[in-house]
Amino acid sequence: MDSLLVQYPYLEELLKGILGLSYTHVIMWLIGGLLIFLAVKYDYEPALLLPIGFGAILANIPHSSAVSTEPGAEGFLITLYNAGIANELFPVLIFIAIGAMCDFAPLIRRPSVMLFAAAAQFGIFATAIGATFLGFSFPHASSIGIIGAADGPTTIYVASRYAVELLGPLSVAAYCYMSLVPVIQPPVIKAVTTQNERKIRMGFENEEPVSDTTKFLFPIMIVIVAGVVSPLSVALIGALMFGNVLKESGVVDNLSNCAQNELSNLVTLVLGITIGGTMTAERFLNFQVLLIMALGAVAFVFDTVGGVLFAKILNMFSAKKINPMIGACGISAFPMSGRVIAKMALKEDPTNFIIQHAIGVNVAGQVASVVAGGLVLAMIPALEKM
Amino acid sequence: MGATEKAVIMMAVALPTMFVVIGLFVGLTKMLHKSFPAEED
Repeated sequence: MDSLLVQYPYLEELLKGILGLSYTHVIMWLIGGLLIFLAVKYDYEPALLLPIGFGAILANIPHSSAVSTEPGAEGFLITLYNAGIANELFPVLIFIAIGAMCDFAPLIRRPSVMLFAAAAQFGIFATAIGATFLGFSFPHASSIGIIGAADGPTTIYVASRYAVELLGPLSVAAYCYMSLVPVIQPPVIKAVTTQNERKIRMGFENEEPVSDTTKFLFPIMIVIVAGVVSPLSVALIGALMFGNVLKESGVVDNLSNCAQNELSNLVTLVLGITIGGTMTAERFLNFQVLLIMALGAVAFVFDTVGGVLFAKILNMFSAKKINPMIGACGISAFPMSGRVIAKMALKEDPTNFIIQHAIGVNVAGQVASVVAGGLVLAMIPALEKM
Repeated sequence: MGATEKAVIMMAVALPTMFVVIGLFVGLTKMLHKSFPAEED
């Protein structure tokens, strides 16, 4: 072959794709294919896993022009990465879209549900500790823990700042586990609750309807308080609440609709394929990635247990009992977690409708996960100085 | 200071801080809800 290349030098240029091919590229094609399969066949977060899977294939074709880093001839995935991930723009734009889709009314009617969401962030911190035992540095371990927020954009935001080299696997783990909420949460909840607890009914006493003025002022209040406590969280929570203000103001329906549809779709599309573009074989095919996937699952389990146990502890001191399953909805996987828990309650007792309460906690999870992300963002540089 | 110690300190500081912030949200949301009842819209 070498003599052929010497004799016909143009062959090297023509065959460089084939000559550069290795088994690691083929493995990455299979991984990309698996993500696409999960998206298409099982509807697992298709809007993200499909572009991520395709991006992974593009990034693992030898000498792919899509991920070329040659100055002046950068691939489009590199350009998108620099334009939207390296500067944290895409996750922030996604938050505007999520905010415009959120209805905080169930949370405002019963604000105490936010405490469950706070408890359900336990997995973030427990997993970060666990990751350090496995040899990860503190910034990397914290970024792995954030998978437990069940919040893709927050995971990407934190990773792009403190664990750039792990961005691909962290994003894939976050979105895979978010789509696996119906598989992960029910057995964990069953393991830590009794059947009688799962049958607890919850009423709507003393829950007043929410005025439009309150719905409009709520996001502004949250962003000011969260921003003062953790200025680093302003980009995330500010974008989330900006989207919500667009919706609740009632005067810019066109902007609200744009955020919910065009912006959401466009950014999701470029975000997914760009993350896929970071999944090169040399970054993805290593033991660390296996550990990250395992730790991601641990984070989800700890979050679920944290939320449920917190509800059980409250029940010990309260006359008005809470169905502890709603504690598990404090993760940010919205509305999937709320629906899964409501379905579980119906399975135990077909006349027990807790969906409103579950969705309230689930919406609170959106806020709590961003607050947790902001605190982690603040704590990493502070502790790294020590 | 080792990575594990840092992670433990993060949990010890961030988790209670979260509850304080969320507690603040709960109180302020209750006040807001009371100040602007639905009938006034």
